[in-house]
Amino acid sequence: MKKTTLLLSALAAFALIGTTHAAPNKNLNIYCWSEYIPQAVIDRFAKETGTKVTVENYASNEEMLSKLAAGGGAYDIIQPSEYVMEALVKEKFLHPIDRAKIPNLKNIAPQFLNLAFDPGNKFSVPFMAGTVGIVVNTDLIKTEIRGFNDVFKPENKGNIVVLDDAREIVAWALLANGMGVNQITDKNLNKIKPTLEKWLPLVKVYDSDSPKTALLNGDVAVGVVWGGEGAILLNKNKKFRWIIPAEGSHMFIDSLAIPKAAKNVESAEEFMNFILRPEISKEISEEFPYLNPNLAARALMTKKELENPASFPTDEEMKKMQLFKDIGTQASEIEEIVTTLKAQ
Amino acid sequence: MAGFAAPTGVAPPPGGHHRAPGLLAWIILSPLLLWLLLFVVAPTLMLTAVSFAERDALGRIVWNFSLQNYFRAFDWVWLKILFQSLYYAFLTTLICMAVGYPAAYCIGRAPERWRGILLMLVMVPFWTSFLIRTYAWITILSKEGIVNSLLISAGIFTEPVSLLYSPFAIVLGLVYNFLPFMILPIYTSVEKLDNAMIEAAYDLGAGPLRAFSQVIIPLTRPGIAAGAMLVFVPSIAMFAITTLMGGGTNPMIGEVIFKQFTSGRNQPFGAALGTILLLVFILTLWLARSQRMKEE
Repeated sequence: MKKTTLLLSALAAFALIGTTHAAPNKNLNIYCWSEYIPQAVIDRFAKETGTKVTVENYASNEEMLSKLAAGGGAYDIIQPSEYVMEALVKEKFLHPIDRAKIPNLKNIAPQFLNLAFDPGNKFSVPFMAGTVGIVVNTDLIKTEIRGFNDVFKPENKGNIVVLDDAREIVAWALLANGMGVNQITDKNLNKIKPTLEKWLPLVKVYDSDSPKTALLNGDVAVGVVWGGEGAILLNKNKKFRWIIPAEGSHMFIDSLAIPKAAKNVESAEEFMNFILRPEISKEISEEFPYLNPNLAARALMTKKELENPASFPTDEEMKKMQLFKDIGTQASEIEEIVTTLKAQ
Repeated sequence: MAGFAAPTGVAPPPGGHHRAPGLLAWIILSPLLLWLLLFVVAPTLMLTAVSFAERDALGRIVWNFSLQNYFRAFDWVWLKILFQSLYYAFLTTLICMAVGYPAAYCIGRAPERWRGILLMLVMVPFWTSFLIRTYAWITILSKEGIVNSLLISAGIFTEPVSLLYSPFAIVLGLVYNFLPFMILPIYTSVEKLDNAMIEAAYDLGAGPLRAFSQVIIPLTRPGIAAGAMLVFVPSIAMFAITTLMGGGTNPMIGEVIFKQFTSGRNQPFGAALGTILLLVFILTLWLARSQRMKEE
């Protein structure tokens, strides 16, 4: 009995020496989107820097926001989209980043830096961006589809998948009526109501998590989906075609940021710099083919990856893209409009 | 919960006197009481409190007393969604009863050495996460799935039919998931069924139909009632299955509440809808209970 105890404590001591040798108690708590940072990348960071990394996932910006606003969880890294970044900066929820610790920020294309949601990138570094666009199964739909108005036509009834996201759906209707995605006023919402009344009964599936499933299984023929999902479909089968809506569309930019309550700011900055490394960023793109803002990573990517139109829009298409601004309490109103029309 | 905690409905002996529980009883009960306090009473009180509050632009709760959320909740939009959820739950309960009763009866009347195995078979699918099972149904029912390929190769259909993302798929998903909750309580009632009673019914001239409706059904009623509650109540608020298999075109009350808590950034309103749903649950349980009291 005594022998075993002795042996065990010796082992424990060795284990302790082992860890202290590799890492002087470095920890990092990441709170990020599900299906966005490959496990291999996280494992590599943990091994290379000797950091103990824990990862928690969320499925929507608001899920993260409500947890953060309620003061829950001690996270060191979060991954908000542009409009939530804007709210977090405005409400002083974030810890400023030390640019000297993140030299790899130079790899990011200038068009993704210094944007309105975080002027001067005081609080965030870009992770990935992406567009929202249309995927068509050309085996099933023979007519030309150029924009939202061609998708939501009576002949496509019961053949459409869209993102289950009230803000997105309202943005498309605004665009189809010649308005900007952020011009959300009561007057404009009234104006687009007839469009939504016409569109929503045509939809067969609402799915934000994996809209590609319904398209792959042949249950629907056309969809309005995230660019990364579209890129995977295009890689899987030539029958799928990607179209950036003629009316324009939403481009999202997901960034990495450090909440004020973070306990491991240095590890968080180390992680940001690690993610911005060309070879790491390329690895992320391989698994989740979104619009990579990292120019040095793009230089390492294959021609096929770079030519995927769902990942990388043309300069012409980029001009038609709009970012979301924070809309605060109107979120609930938009939710009600879309729910009402779904339930009609 | 207490309403169906004893599915076999062991009524207190007539004229039995109630004794105040001793200290030991309280000590034994304390873990359960603590659990109820922490995870049932406290969250419910919090939910109710939040439902009278307001929220700011980030979705944080602002403690100003307001009835606004309830005024908004009694709009036809939300009531319609609530009624639709109740309708689907009711349909699910009926189908579970129709399918589950014969199954439970057969298991309960099977030779004793078989019962364990048969019950096990009912439970085996539930060793896998219900999300995985639901995704499995998506592959089975999709246009390029097994059912469609079978129907087409058998020459019954020429074109694949849309099975998934329909009300049919919603009810199928709900029934599939909640069926064991109907079978198990009915089984416990059936197992206790006294054969002598049935024989007596026959001896007194009842046909099989009459023996079933006037002897077997009343004797297994506690199991049926418990099963109905166990299926009906959770079906109302279940939304993972309805969104995945129904395609989200028929919003359910559970989904609507979830969205107010997340993308709607309006926890107080979600809490008000939740409180109303809770009242519906309480009403359902109370009705079932008073019905049972009347029978006893």
